[in-house]
Amino acid sequence: MKKYVYLLVALAFNMACEDVIEVDLPDQETRLIVDALIRVDVSQPFLPIEVKLSLTSNFYEENVPTSAENVVIIYEEIVDNLVVETRSSSLAETSPGSGIYVPNPNFSSDQRIPTTVLSRDFVYTLYVRHEGRLYIAATKYVPTTPINSIYQGTGTLFDENETEIVVNFTDDPERNDFYLFDFGFGEYLVTEDEFYQGQEFEFSYFYDQQFFPGTIIEISILGTDQSFYNYMDQLIEQSGDTQGPFQTPVSTVRGNVFDVTDLDNIDVFDNVDQPTLFPLGYFAIVQEYTSSIIIE
Amino acid sequence: MMHHKPWVVGFILLFASFSLFSQTKYTISGIISEASSNETLLGVTIAIPSLRTGVTTNEYGFYSLTLPEGDYELQISYLGYQDIIRTVSFTKNQKINFQLTEKAEILEEVVLTENVEKLNISKPQMSVNTLAAQTIKKIPVLLGEADIIKSLLLLPGVSNAGEGASGFNVRGGAADQNLILLDEATIFNSSHLFGLFSVFNPDAIKDVKLFKGAIPSRYGGRVSSVLEIFQKEGNSKELKMSGGIGAVASRLLAEGPIIKDKAAFLIGGRASYAHLFLPLFDIENKAYFYDLNTKLSFTINENNNLYLSGYFGRDLFAISDRFENVYGNSVGNLRWNHLFSDKLFSNLSLIYSDYYYGLELDFVGFKWNSGIQNFNLKYDLKHYLSDTFQVNYGINNIYYTFNPGKIIPNSPDSGILEEQLIKKYANEFAAYVGAEHTLSEKLSMQYGLRFSYFIRLGQEELNVYENDNPVVFDPFLLVYQEATPTGTIAPDRGEHLATYTNFEPRIALAYTLNPDNSIKMSYTRTTQYLHLLSNTSSPTPLDVWTPSGPFLKPQLQDQYALGYFRNIDEGTYSFETEVFYKDIKNRIDYIDGANLIANNAIEQVILNGTARAYGLEILLRKNTGRFTGWLAYTLSRSEQQTRGRTSFEDNGRSNKETGINFGEWYSTPYDKPHDISLYASYELNKKWSFNSNFVYQTGQPTNYPVGKFEFQGLTVPFYGLRNEERLPDYHRIDVAATLNPKKNIDRSWQAEWVFSIYNLYSRRNAASINFRRNQDTGANEAIRTSIFGIVPAVTYNFKF
Repeated sequence: MKKYVYLLVALAFNMACEDVIEVDLPDQETRLIVDALIRVDVSQPFLPIEVKLSLTSNFYEENVPTSAENVVIIYEEIVDNLVVETRSSSLAETSPGSGIYVPNPNFSSDQRIPTTVLSRDFVYTLYVRHEGRLYIAATKYVPTTPINSIYQGTGTLFDENETEIVVNFTDDPERNDFYLFDFGFGEYLVTEDEFYQGQEFEFSYFYDQQFFPGTIIEISILGTDQSFYNYMDQLIEQSGDTQGPFQTPVSTVRGNVFDVTDLDNIDVFDNVDQPTLFPLGYFAIVQEYTSSIIIE
Repeated sequence: MMHHKPWVVGFILLFASFSLFSQTKYTISGIISEASSNETLLGVTIAIPSLRTGVTTNEYGFYSLTLPEGDYELQISYLGYQDIIRTVSFTKNQKINFQLTEKAEILEEVVLTENVEKLNISKPQMSVNTLAAQTIKKIPVLLGEADIIKSLLLLPGVSNAGEGASGFNVRGGAADQNLILLDEATIFNSSHLFGLFSVFNPDAIKDVKLFKGAIPSRYGGRVSSVLEIFQKEGNSKELKMSGGIGAVASRLLAEGPIIKDKAAFLIGGRASYAHLFLPLFDIENKAYFYDLNTKLSFTINENNNLYLSGYFGRDLFAISDRFENVYGNSVGNLRWNHLFSDKLFSNLSLIYSDYYYGLELDFVGFKWNSGIQNFNLKYDLKHYLSDTFQVNYGINNIYYTFNPGKIIPNSPDSGILEEQLIKKYANEFAAYVGAEHTLSEKLSMQYGLRFSYFIRLGQEELNVYENDNPVVFDPFLLVYQEATPTGTIAPDRGEHLATYTNFEPRIALAYTLNPDNSIKMSYTRTTQYLHLLSNTSSPTPLDVWTPSGPFLKPQLQDQYALGYFRNIDEGTYSFETEVFYKDIKNRIDYIDGANLIANNAIEQVILNGTARAYGLEILLRKNTGRFTGWLAYTLSRSEQQTRGRTSFEDNGRSNKETGINFGEWYSTPYDKPHDISLYASYELNKKWSFNSNFVYQTGQPTNYPVGKFEFQGLTVPFYGLRNEERLPDYHRIDVAATLNPKKNIDRSWQAEWVFSIYNLYSRRNAASINFRRNQDTGANEAIRTSIFGIVPAVTYNFKF
């Protein structure tokens, strides 16, 4: 619902004028960014594990890839609070300095994670040792439902240079679902099934541009848990230009990766006393369905 | 030994002191009204120069004066009207109604006498500003649409979040902390078009009074301020029409007698033009607002008056058929004034008010509505015991229904399921007693006590949480998250989910140094049981109100103020300065990423914090002459803090929390350390008058990114602590010229042209600065959004 507020605001501010200005920005020390959203196509034999590491930059500059000492995913099956099976996947950088980590192809055994494990209740933990500090993030696999259909509409909302795409999918009646839609071009949308539990649901998305006929657009639906849904909701909000007098208080959006270096569980049990020590990013393993459409 | 609180002792002493008088006394009482229309006048001074004392008329134009037997010269004065000086014999109790005539020659110097001055100076009421409808209409405003709330912003201690932001902030308080009363009925949303205009039609308004502090005990329910707006009663002598044609909206108001001198009606409408702001787009859009003010007043006999007032306003936005948005207030109010005796005035009010918000989104397939309704029964009495002692007391009961939202599919094909979010119910009862007491020639006091009792009533379903804690904290990721309910209960409507009792002492005193100088001080405790769920810098129309309850505590505020007041040059100038300090408990704050709309368990995203504000206000006014106006300066801070809770049970794991913003104090979005307003009005001659404003404010607190990161193709700026940066300073000048054509003389049709220019030097004041990636160039940019450049406008006003 929150985004509809912005829709209204956008309307009210249509008459406002915008210009690019120079603003000197404060600099903060760099932080590690862990981009580890694993989008699973269950028809493939292995999970497409890829973890991207980089360092934050000043707002006007680009993030720089960074290499870690060690990156590994350990996954454990837990039954009745007991670990019944532990497996691991050791990751290696695709090329030195790329910051992109995939299952190590040079290992003595196969480090890839087979898709078959998704039917079991595993907890996946990502360990990153970077510049002497240890970061971890834990997640569980989240399934989703396929897109029934997408088609191109003719409507517009605010101006004529928009492209309407209508998306239709059927919600799973057995679960409380949180969805993330990836419309490409860095455009995302989150929605939850609270008001359409188990229903066939259809909505329109408006691209703020027109495409050449024949352009192929890919749209994906991804499953998320509530935490990742909240995370993406905030990222979408803070990366957009939904501000003005209706701006919400901002804060650094924290993901599920945290710094465990100083947690000795003897004197230090938590990060409450070092609140400024944290990496950015998220580790999630989610199901994805993609549909494509050719623009007419 | 019993430990009485000092104010309780004070109370008893003060009540005891007035019974010492024993001379024979007589009472003169009556109504003071305007001669041409019988419109009652409030705040008229009835002074007795020989005794250096006096009273003022109440909200209904009533006064009562009790003096020892004898002849006294009464002086009745009201700014802009001819004084009446009359000798009255207090030898029996009698009723005398006075009628004041507007000064025929506006340019004539208003001569105020020493005694009247003394009275203003010596009254204990402080932190209050009154604006007459006449002044409001003169102040240059955006697009020439006279605006009560925009006029208030020129006063010290009043600001808003920025251009085109709704609501207003008083002494660093939030917009939802203002009690806005239109003829005693609560108005929940004071803005049209997201704050560009306010919902009050200036033609239907008589007077506006804003209490920024020292709030008398008869008001309650909001912590920060009380804005009282009085609608006109209607002319009971002859039919009059007035209206205006402006750049945004047109107004028409009719008032007249139903029974001459006994019953009058007033009906006023205002509507904006349907395609406001959106003609630039070819798409079929609608954006307009309208409002309707009505009032019937009926004088049954000299002891009984009836008033029926109503207000109805709506805003509508629509974009083709895909999106429609309607919202507004409705208010109905029946009041009965009854005089039990010439010393005891009473008023009984039955008030209904609601706020409705409706939305239809065709492209998602649903309709949505939300709102709040309340029924309010009020009974107020004022006892004019003597010229030095008046007591008022009363009770008030408000029953609320909150609709957080209902979603309805808009067509059979829609996948949306109809759902009513859980409605909430509450009852707020209050009883109060207050006194105005002149203790000596130098010392006068206003003191009182309000008792409030709030019940959150049962609702269809309520979540139950482990340790009663609906918000959990992750000690590793350092984020607050919604707790998973452990179950639900289904309490009956009659059940009390939570009750809160509060005593709210109010005390103010004035010490008169000499007839032109006084010092005043006050302490005010106020309680607020309702919270507007709003996570934005200024409220949006779809924000919903929610009551205090099991998880949400009422806001409590203590305000201390000290002021110095002075009349200079026989009242040609006046100077007031005040310092204040406010401390608010239980100010709600939201966890990061909180979703406030369509949330059935709002307790899961709310934490209780604190807020504080303090400052210095200076107001220098020139009250008389061709050149009038004021200079207001405010130096203040407004901050809030939400610390980590520590009270939850230690479950073996860490139970420490960081709080919001690491538990540090941070500036509220309406923290404006420096705020200067200058208003000047110059009457050149009968034909032309000129008005101008200058406004300067420290830029609004905001956030600049301390860095950026990329995640899955999204470029995300990230931030340090909250509100550490500021937008560039805000300033602008507005001017207006009013033309009264010569033709007006000797005809009933009175016309007036107002030419105005808003933001004369077209400063691009930043409403916001956004940080985003340019989609075309891929470069990261800072984008300044400014709402208005220079805006000229012409308005034509008429009356006949």
